[in-house]
Amino acid sequence: MTGQDNVEPLVVLHPISVDTRSPDQVGMLVLVNGLLVAVLVRLDAPWHDRPGAWHMEAGLGRLAGVRAPVFDTLKDATRWVRQRLRG
Amino acid sequence: MQDALIRKLESFEELSDADRAALRAFVPRVRNVPARTDIIAEGDVPGDVHLILDGYACRYKMLPDGQRQIMAFFVPGDFCDLNVFILDEMDHSIGTVSPCKTVEIPRAAIEEITAHHPQVTRALMWCALVDGAILREWLVNIGSRQADQRIAHLFCELLLRLEAVGRVTDNSYAFPFTQTDVADTMGLSDVQVSRTLRELRALGLIHLKHRVLTILDVDQLKAYCGFNPNYLHLRNARWSSRRQVPWLSSVQGV
Repeated sequence: MTGQDNVEPLVVLHPISVDTRSPDQVGMLVLVNGLLVAVLVRLDAPWHDRPGAWHMEAGLGRLAGVRAPVFDTLKDATRWVRQRLRG
Repeated sequence: MQDALIRKLESFEELSDADRAALRAFVPRVRNVPARTDIIAEGDVPGDVHLILDGYACRYKMLPDGQRQIMAFFVPGDFCDLNVFILDEMDHSIGTVSPCKTVEIPRAAIEEITAHHPQVTRALMWCALVDGAILREWLVNIGSRQADQRIAHLFCELLLRLEAVGRVTDNSYAFPFTQTDVADTMGLSDVQVSRTLRELRALGLIHLKHRVLTILDVDQLKAYCGFNPNYLHLRNARWSSRRQVPWLSSVQGV
């Protein structure tokens, strides 16, 4: 049991196209230990304040209904996911 | 200055000249509150009742993780805390969105006017009941409507509420809310709000520029979100004849 707490969860990103009814279509499935926990989408539409940043379009499990910040990089996004799932 | 309030109350109840005079004598302390400032904060002891004469404010709550949830918007003529003043401690905060002109009405003044002007009391009760009805509708909005419909619904509601206090010109009204304000109200992300506004613009339903919102096609926007104004209980949208309560007159006549 103690061992399990110390193991960093395995976060895997898997590219996917997402329908957001906008030009933002480039997405990533976020899998933690093999389970889908979030769908990220890159903000490619020119009107966004932070074009190129990543938005959590949907969360599942412990991320369901959570309003996440917008992330500058995928690395920031995965760090946030790890923190949320650890807490 | 109290015209917005009188207009609002008259949209619920017919007032006499004496009622109007009593409301005009209400003036006490007028305060100019800058934008983004708390009028009263969670934990404070409520004393005065705050009436918005000009500008927009909101009722909100901060969550432990820093997330803000907005539960109500206040527009000119709205009481922020008509019933709250009876409570010992504020369980939420009320803050301005744009610069506001507010009136602080001491509890004693409310008690005085309600004791002597039953029509005003009824109208104030209408206000409190409509606040409750709006809250219910917002619950439905957040719980059961899609993002684009939620925002369209809010736009329709503000149009009617502001129209009732004479703050709409050619289907345009001041809209000082940021995307984050709308997101915190609707339980959406800023990105979802931004996309939705684009979509409503692309459909030719709204125009939003320089903090003025214009509804280009009111009927279409209402149809788009299934807007039914019944919960606002405005006189012009109401079944006034049914409010005669003839059964009550007949009971009293016995």
